[in-house]
Amino acid sequence: MSSRWLGVGFLAPALVAVLFFFLLPVVMTVMFSFTNMTTATGITGGEYLLSKSRLRQLEAEGVSEETVERLESAGYQITEQGLAALAEEFGEDRADELREDYMGESFTARRDLERVLRNLNDDPIRRTRDRKAAADLFAVTILDERFPTEPAFRDALTESGIDPADHDALVKTAYTGWTWTTDNFKLLFELPATLRYAMNTAIYVVFTLAFNVGFGLFLAISTFYLPQHLANTFRTIWFLPRILPPVMYVLMWKWFTWDTGFISTVLSVFGVTPINWMTESALNAWTVVVLINGFVGASLGMILFSSAIKAIPLSMLYASEVDGAYRWDQIRYIILPQLRWPVLFMTSYQTLSLLTSFEYILLSTEGGPGGSTTTWALAAYTTALRNYGGNLEYGFGAAYALVLVIIGIILSVLYLRFFNFKELVAKPRIEQ
Amino acid sequence: MELKLEKFTKRFGTTTVIDSMDLTVNSGEMMALLGPSGCGKSTTLFAICGIHRMNGGRLLFGGQDVTTVPAQRRSVGVVFQNYALYPHMTVRENIGFPLKVQRKAKAEIASEVGQMAELVQISNLLDRRPAQLSGGQQQRVALARAMVRKPDVLLLDEPLANLDAKLRLEMRSEIRRIQKETGITAILVTHDQVEAMSMCDRIALMRDGKIVQLDTPEGMYRNPKTQFVAGFLGNPPISFLSVTAGDTLSLGEGLTLARPQGLEASGDIVIGIRPEHFGPQYGTGLEGVISFVEPQGREELVDVRLANGQEVRAILPVGDPLKTGQHVNWGVATDRILAFSQDGARL
Amino acid sequence: MTGNLRIWPIVLLLGIVSAPLIIMYVFQVIESVAQPQPGTLMPGEINLHNWRFLWQELDRGRPSIWTATFNTFIFATTIALAVCALSSTAGYALSRLNLPGRPYFLGGLIILHAFPTITLIIAIFIVLQYLGLFDTLLGVILVKAALELPFGIWIMKGFYDTVPWEIEMAGVQDGASRFRVWWELVLPQVKPGLAALGIISFLQGWSEFVLPLVLAPGSETQVLATYMYSVIQDDAKLDFGLFKAIGMFYSLPVILVYLIFQKQLMNIYGGGTKG
Repeated sequence: MSSRWLGVGFLAPALVAVLFFFLLPVVMTVMFSFTNMTTATGITGGEYLLSKSRLRQLEAEGVSEETVERLESAGYQITEQGLAALAEEFGEDRADELREDYMGESFTARRDLERVLRNLNDDPIRRTRDRKAAADLFAVTILDERFPTEPAFRDALTESGIDPADHDALVKTAYTGWTWTTDNFKLLFELPATLRYAMNTAIYVVFTLAFNVGFGLFLAISTFYLPQHLANTFRTIWFLPRILPPVMYVLMWKWFTWDTGFISTVLSVFGVTPINWMTESALNAWTVVVLINGFVGASLGMILFSSAIKAIPLSMLYASEVDGAYRWDQIRYIILPQLRWPVLFMTSYQTLSLLTSFEYILLSTEGGPGGSTTTWALAAYTTALRNYGGNLEYGFGAAYALVLVIIGIILSVLYLRFFNFKELVAKPRIEQ
Repeated sequence: MELKLEKFTKRFGTTTVIDSMDLTVNSGEMMALLGPSGCGKSTTLFAICGIHRMNGGRLLFGGQDVTTVPAQRRSVGVVFQNYALYPHMTVRENIGFPLKVQRKAKAEIASEVGQMAELVQISNLLDRRPAQLSGGQQQRVALARAMVRKPDVLLLDEPLANLDAKLRLEMRSEIRRIQKETGITAILVTHDQVEAMSMCDRIALMRDGKIVQLDTPEGMYRNPKTQFVAGFLGNPPISFLSVTAGDTLSLGEGLTLARPQGLEASGDIVIGIRPEHFGPQYGTGLEGVISFVEPQGREELVDVRLANGQEVRAILPVGDPLKTGQHVNWGVATDRILAFSQDGARL
Repeated sequence: MTGNLRIWPIVLLLGIVSAPLIIMYVFQVIESVAQPQPGTLMPGEINLHNWRFLWQELDRGRPSIWTATFNTFIFATTIALAVCALSSTAGYALSRLNLPGRPYFLGGLIILHAFPTITLIIAIFIVLQYLGLFDTLLGVILVKAALELPFGIWIMKGFYDTVPWEIEMAGVQDGASRFRVWWELVLPQVKPGLAALGIISFLQGWSEFVLPLVLAPGSETQVLATYMYSVIQDDAKLDFGLFKAIGMFYSLPVILVYLIFQKQLMNIYGGGTKG
């Protein structure tokens, strides 16, 4: 019993972390993808606000002409709120007189209210400008006024005497927050860019993966035949890209490929005009993107495959040499068959990781030139989090991300079958 | 302290490994739990430790029910097969750990560790780490650690399995000496009948989760209750022959043996002849051809193939040169023949 | 081994394919202190002009490199500590303790381990805003540590699995509670693994770029990765010398750690990290 509680206690902090930063985000990605959430709508609920500029569109949205006019030509009403404001600016006496004689009365035009103010018995407001300002204190228009909740807004509509038939349409128009919608997915299917992102992703994954595995194999096998110190030197050279910070690693590539960089400088000796080899053409951009990722990925392959080769009994290799096998035969018949599982493992893991990663592309080509190296994951990121237009489309970005989340879940569940799960869950041997 | 298991039952999932087993170990006694692998002897040991929970029955230490007492609060010392010494602690810290857990004073711990080290004769090794010790020394440390808090019961799980042959002999007598000196109640779990017979006061022979016989080593050897017990004890092992019991025991092909006194069964039965009860010193009676000779220094093992195709083994002092293929006619100590029914029960 | 096979063709081939990397490394080091003429590769004058970011303001409004360095250090250290602490407990629970629903936790762990967490960044961005932790160092630390956890727990579980059960059984028999057994007997056995995990997590934190970029874009919370990125983005003159000096400064701890712990790193990186 005691170990059960110890176990729960030991696991709880990790579970909380997982809950907040894995499960909650997964659920929220699904939710957000069904909203029109953007920077403009905000991420919490919105307010209700009818702006003057929206009035013109209202008729197109099926609001009756009468209602629009009513909203436009707002009236004036003597209310406690207005009187309080009047008392503040124009004195208690005037407010008291107005309260006594006109409390609750409405005026359609400001002129009428101004007349009343001019004719106050006690102390009329003489200056026209003051009268205008005083009258405005009693304006009851709901235009440009913010209402925090829907009921408050509906009450205001009713008070203004607006036809109840138009309430729903007005509420909808006035809402500034996000709403539920399936438009994101419609848009996703309609946009021609979507297909392009998918194609780009396919290119990116296939070529990088091929490079990673192929080059990883090459490095592992070739360093295997070298003396220890030489092998270690080359392994270090290839391992560094893996642990160097990505910003730093990509900087070296920028220096290597940009127009003031290495390639251009060397080629200029032969009279070639310096160009930015990284972003000059789609083909160049792809080559660089694949190489940047590939050099990092190949080092993982190198490590995995090297340790698999080391596990081959030396006697087996010696035996094959005694038999007079050539190096190529040794690789083909002894080493490569041993690498089947590591290759499969690396392929499956990297497929998923390449499908969803965008860090190196963001740092190098930023998806260019002209979006030619924008993968699905990068598109999700730029749509939701890095849109220079100023409006970040969280909802639409989440719809892109959701596709990746679903692929991720499916593939990870498939990988679960790779592991020997039975052995993994072998029961604890101390039963207490 | 007397240890008593009553109707002990253990299940793993849906399979019942031990069903309602009873066992009493007397105070100061060393008891062997002997049996082939998978017979449930280790499961029994783990249940006594408290590492496994019992699914049924009771466990009593000196009359006190400890069935639900957690392992930490049972007074049980255990020596594990691989010793399970704590690799990051010195020998001194290893032996002192149980006392440290009990929050004893430092001086007290030091003196008790010293005494214990003297008992198991490792006083000169106290500052080493387990990795710097030989197998036998590790064994002694494990023993000292198990005994340092003066437990009611000492459990030894295959303690000699990881030692080479010479050390095994040495530790066999060492463990017995220490057990006798301290007078502790001990249970030895082993699959090795020689260990069980040489070290223990009594043996509980287990098979398929049941105790098939509980007796002193001599009693069990001379008087096995079943064919399984007879076959399990004895090295070199007993030879079994199928015979038909009538006026004599007929082995077929004209071979016969005299009926042992007191045998009442008739018809097809199985008899067991231990190697030391067959040979030229018992006269003649069984004719056959030597099929195999294995010299063992002082003695040699001789397999004799009878005319009916069955084999009988003899153990003889080295003397006359015996050769494979040689024709012999040797006798059997009739009164020591063990007879079993065909389902293995003793007759 | 295989002394009868000539090695120079292999060395030559490896040298050629490794050339771009070698060139990058060499010029990275040289040009961090050199002032080459535009259009040449000759180092020219050697001085510390490129390292001026250490003692003077680069642009107005940009935080000092020392702020960013301090942030990065706090970021990486806290992550390493949090990952080590939570992984060493959770890994032990999954490896050794009787938990209700343990198989499900283990299955979940494997799925999480393979799952590409970067896909969740949009939702995490908004979750942090809800929690009021957006653009704070604490927020990014929590997220990064949480995302590193499945890997950490997985690694630690693997280390715990190799500790013999008998050691724990002996501890329990010696009267120690399960907690004490873990703390005094088991944890010391996995210390090398824990240290390796700490180093890896530190390096991961030190190098992390996307999370701080998205979740802590403010200048007060800048880490070296985002600092360096913004210097490169904002500089119209492409002062590669400056960039390289900053890069050197940023990468030095990584290279030092690599040189010291080379062996452990190779092993754990081979042991099931994501590409």
